[in-house]
Amino acid sequence: MFPYGHLTEDAGASADPVLVEIVQGSLASVEAEVETAIARTSRSPMIRDAHDFRAGIHDRLLRKLTGRSYSALVHPVARDFPLEEMRPGDVFFHNDVYRSEGGIGHLPDLCVTVPVFARGRVVAFVQAFGHHDDIGGAVPGSMPSAATTVFEEGLMVPPIRLWDAGVPNRAALSIMTRNSRMPESLAADLDAECSACLMGARRLGELFERYGVPQVEACFDAILERTTETYRREILAKIPVGSWVWEDYAEHDGVDQPRLHTQRIRLTHTAADDPDGERLVLDFDGTGPQAKGPINHCGDYSDGVFLKKWLAPILRNLADTPERMAELDVNEGVVPLIEMRFPEPGTLLTPVFPAPTNARTFVILRLLGVLAGVLAKAVDGRMPADQETIRYTGVYGEDAEGRPYLMREVLGGGSGGRYYADGEDTIHVVPDSRNLPTEFTEARFPFRVESLSLAVDSGGAGRFRGGLGYEKQIRMLKDAHFMSIADRSILSCWGVKGGRAGRPFQVTIDPGGPGEREVDALADAEPVAAGEVIRIRTTGGGGWGDPLERDPDLVVRDVVWRKVSPEAALADYGVVLTGTVDADDLGYDVAATATERGGRARATEAFFDRGPGYARLAGGTPYADVDLLDDTR
Amino acid sequence: MERPRRIRIGIDTGGTFTDVVALDEDSGQVVTTKTPSTPANPADGFLAGIEKVLGLLEGASGEDVSAVSHGTTVATNQLLEGKVDRLGFVTTEGYDAMLEIARQSVPDGYGNSYFWVKPPRIVPRDLVRSVGGRLDVTGAEVRPFDEDGARAVARWFRDRGVDTLGVCFLHAYADPAHEERMREILAEEHPQAVVSISSEVLREYREYERAMTTLVDAAVKPRLSAYVRNISARLAGYVSGDAGERRVPFYVMKSNGGVLSADEVVHQPITTVLSGPAAGALGAALIGRVAGFDRVLTCDGGGTSTDVSVVVDGVPTLTTEGSVGAFPSKIPMIDVVTVGAGGGSIAWLSPEGALRVGPHSAGADPGPLCYAKGGAEVTITDAHVVLGRIPPHLLGGEIPLDVDAARRGVEGLAGKLGLSPEAAAVGVLEISAWNQANALRQVTVKRGLDVRDFTLTTFGGSGSLLLCRLMDVLGIPTELQPPDPGNVSAFGLLTVDVKNDYVQTQVSLDTALDVDALRTAYDALTTRARDALLREGFAEEDHVFRRTADLRYFGQAFEVRVPVPDGDLDRRALDGVVAAFHAEHRGLYGYDFAGDPGQQVEWVNLRVSGIGPITRPGIRRLTGSAAPGSRTAAPQADGPMSRAVCFDADQGYVDTPVRRRADLVPGTNLTGPVIIEEYGSTVPVHPGFDATVDDFGNLLVRRTGRHEGARA
Repeated sequence: MFPYGHLTEDAGASADPVLVEIVQGSLASVEAEVETAIARTSRSPMIRDAHDFRAGIHDRLLRKLTGRSYSALVHPVARDFPLEEMRPGDVFFHNDVYRSEGGIGHLPDLCVTVPVFARGRVVAFVQAFGHHDDIGGAVPGSMPSAATTVFEEGLMVPPIRLWDAGVPNRAALSIMTRNSRMPESLAADLDAECSACLMGARRLGELFERYGVPQVEACFDAILERTTETYRREILAKIPVGSWVWEDYAEHDGVDQPRLHTQRIRLTHTAADDPDGERLVLDFDGTGPQAKGPINHCGDYSDGVFLKKWLAPILRNLADTPERMAELDVNEGVVPLIEMRFPEPGTLLTPVFPAPTNARTFVILRLLGVLAGVLAKAVDGRMPADQETIRYTGVYGEDAEGRPYLMREVLGGGSGGRYYADGEDTIHVVPDSRNLPTEFTEARFPFRVESLSLAVDSGGAGRFRGGLGYEKQIRMLKDAHFMSIADRSILSCWGVKGGRAGRPFQVTIDPGGPGEREVDALADAEPVAAGEVIRIRTTGGGGWGDPLERDPDLVVRDVVWRKVSPEAALADYGVVLTGTVDADDLGYDVAATATERGGRARATEAFFDRGPGYARLAGGTPYADVDLLDDTR
Repeated sequence: MERPRRIRIGIDTGGTFTDVVALDEDSGQVVTTKTPSTPANPADGFLAGIEKVLGLLEGASGEDVSAVSHGTTVATNQLLEGKVDRLGFVTTEGYDAMLEIARQSVPDGYGNSYFWVKPPRIVPRDLVRSVGGRLDVTGAEVRPFDEDGARAVARWFRDRGVDTLGVCFLHAYADPAHEERMREILAEEHPQAVVSISSEVLREYREYERAMTTLVDAAVKPRLSAYVRNISARLAGYVSGDAGERRVPFYVMKSNGGVLSADEVVHQPITTVLSGPAAGALGAALIGRVAGFDRVLTCDGGGTSTDVSVVVDGVPTLTTEGSVGAFPSKIPMIDVVTVGAGGGSIAWLSPEGALRVGPHSAGADPGPLCYAKGGAEVTITDAHVVLGRIPPHLLGGEIPLDVDAARRGVEGLAGKLGLSPEAAAVGVLEISAWNQANALRQVTVKRGLDVRDFTLTTFGGSGSLLLCRLMDVLGIPTELQPPDPGNVSAFGLLTVDVKNDYVQTQVSLDTALDVDALRTAYDALTTRARDALLREGFAEEDHVFRRTADLRYFGQAFEVRVPVPDGDLDRRALDGVVAAFHAEHRGLYGYDFAGDPGQQVEWVNLRVSGIGPITRPGIRRLTGSAAPGSRTAAPQADGPMSRAVCFDADQGYVDTPVRRRADLVPGTNLTGPVIIEEYGSTVPVHPGFDATVDDFGNLLVRRTGRHEGARA
């Protein structure tokens, strides 16, 4: 419907090199200014603290020009409202997953789009979308873990003109706020986003007025073309021509018993002389059927253009150094390099309306890892091991004064080991997403955070160890309910190239006490009594490389740093320790360690380790066929 | 014996140069100079600067120095270089991993979590020790302090020779008792330890940020103390014989816009982390205010970077969200944003083939190509000299520049870009101007302000070179260029009061506010401020206390600071504070919830600043005959009265008049193109702009018409 094109005949080749840099800097600055304005004026904790919102700038061909972050799409707006009929001061709005061309994954993500005008016509778009507190539906927070249709998930708004030439549509706004449990913050957040995007549109309009529309558009072409060429030169060149397949799984959908919900990618790097050109073909054939519960993601729209940009950041791991990886932008310029092939309707990635989608992170986060894994097979493991960093945990009830409250937090996890470094502890894939300080939450909610520490041994063993997850212990001071939306509680973050899996997510109530019990990772309302402790352990990252090849000095350091237990130093790393941490004389026995390591057989022939949970869901099989490097047999 | 003269000296140590201003308090004479900074031992450059400026005042000697105010980068550089010595951290049981966990955020782009390598923690995990004992949010004791555990921790650090320690216990902002007990035990068991406790450094909630701020304070303490004591001792050497009883008062600039005596500042070293930039912003704010402009953007361009800040109502805006290098610092500091755009910023081609400028800098050594000291890359300064916008020498002729070397470099760059050398040089400068412009936009947007409502002041060695382009890009109507723009920071040091900030987090809904408790808290803060001012030698009648409070709407995680009036705090006065909060919230964010019973207001932080006023140098109106150059110590050598300058690559070089700033009397009006030169600074006035000299010797640059100036 919207094929990738160029604004100029020579794809920006004749753009003024100085102006290109000025335009690129201005785009980044406007994007930052819009995000700053939203962060300043919004009220949802998900936006303010978890930083779960993004701005983006797109050209009139709907191509994303800025590159620091993912964003939604302008396609649904342009589909329903011809550009010629747009007017300055218009603001478009949508959150309807099935009318979003795949740009919106779940209903709480509200998206605002503002056209930019110069010399009387639409020349670009400024867009923002953010995760709001509540948009109605079956449960507070609009993320019912056992939903079976999208109707339980909240209010659906297809693309509408929310502001008409500067005049807000009060009727539409009042319908939306009436459907939310938190109408004030919804209204304030929407206001923040509309104002910020309008400001950004004015700023961008000035750039066109100053330099001329054709000149600036030539720069847009040049910026995107450069990205395409950089990825071709620095990323695609690292992948041999060939084809590989790998899969990973969500473990439950909130409705059915836990089982393997397969997500599969066959990756093909075509040769430069391929009739359709050199590109990466991602074929999702073999992806499991649509889930009854809300873990589906609408991927098969507009040639998968959203998913292409969502997954492309993983490709950056192929660049030469971590510093270079961080420099690479992901803008629309990656799109011509990727072709997506989707299975027939009715899979996790091609759900049929009205399938629920509120926990679609189970699919789109997992797909990041599937792509990393299939690439690892292509490049002999020079990719990071697995991480899982988005999950929602929370408690709700009434506070000391009898007022209702909801405390919901996004706790990160450990990242996977890399061929150049250990994984990092307790981090998050969303930039600037923050955890909640104890001194803030204890002031607001009736509980005490007894400890906020690292889950010992949670990082997968490896020559480069996985990062550690959280271990957070909350003691309730009043009766409450615990809620959790999390995957990776049975399956682990995988290790690669001999690295072992990390430990999965686990919630225990009253650990060591009379009422000790584990809570399901998809839980809407687990009762917790006053005085009981909730212990949350989040996922450790997978390990990279054989743990028996890890420098024993680093294992000793990890034990001193209480990241690895003395038991695990021996069991996982084959390091025979001497002395103790407490006596300050911890070391290792060189000869005994060599003997210990020499006597060990290689743990598995598989290239990936998914942890013990895999066999449990796979009927006892230790690994999947695709886990072998040579999976053709 | 003749009474010594009274000479006050401001001395600002920058990355490249140390700037010095001396004021003769009796005659009002001001002289300025520069000496090279000496990063290896900054005290050497400091004392060389004092000697040099005294030499410019006829007959002056060290005996005549009445006070010295100093902007230092000792703490800043230590942090920027990450040179943190062996440091220990003591925290609450259950929170040993606080530094590892941090706030879980990964900088920059989405997906960076896969490859990001976390920088080393300020304290490695093996030097973290925890102690039992727990407070709640009100400061009430949930579990008693574990005295034995604390003693064991103190001995543990002593036995390992870890002598610099930061202590941060949960909720210590609400009650410092456990932290103070910890410090006592450390004093008993490990007396040689240098200790910072969080309830003294930053009495504000959010444990990770408070801990980091406390640890940074501890980390810079040994080095800053040694530096300040060394200078104090050497200054004491100026006072000899009969005058031996006298001490030269020595003040150090703080990030919050105040100064503090050297004796006191060693106890709160973190307050100096933005010492130099704060002085520049203050000096520019004062100059702007006197000239009749109270909304000012300051743009302080140096050799490696440019610092920008926002001045509203004559006062630089403050932030408590600052950081230095990788280290967050939550203490109040003037909100200075640093852009990697200075004279030494390098123009380079990215792997994508894009022309980039900065943030890498050639610094002063090897410096730009035209310094002919081994520099190999084109810098901003090279582009300026090739275009003729600066003279072929620095500092009024003291340092000649190798223009040919610069030209060869620019030609090489131009060849790779397919541009003419002039277009490449103009382009490099244009990109640098836009980098600065974008930073200026972001500092204003952050506060809901419109950049076009401001007057731009440019200063520092490289600040004024691009002022016409900045005005054009940002749509700013007027630019103010103070006399001696290279010395505004040092001048600012002479204008600063003694100032201490105290904060207490005390969270309460406005509807449930305990007015007596609030009064008690403010009284306690004021007492601390008063005690400090007395220690600084200020008589009580001179004390000024400024009260503020941070309020928010219930549910928000950020606060808005509003003034709290003097006098008795009754309910009516507090209602006035709440009303001011609603108004300020609307000003900042575009909406408020005044009169909405569904939105409750919450008090969070109570603050008191104690101010000890000092005498400021007057900025005097000049009479018609007195040119501002009378403040300039070393007017440049006579140069040619015109040269070929390129403002627009398409139009090439045009013969452009060159005027000496020293010759420009008030009322002078110059029409661009014209180059105005003075010691340490050059102002290229582009075609389409004119410059007038106001009564104070400031250059005011304005647009004369719709002219886009040089354009890429």
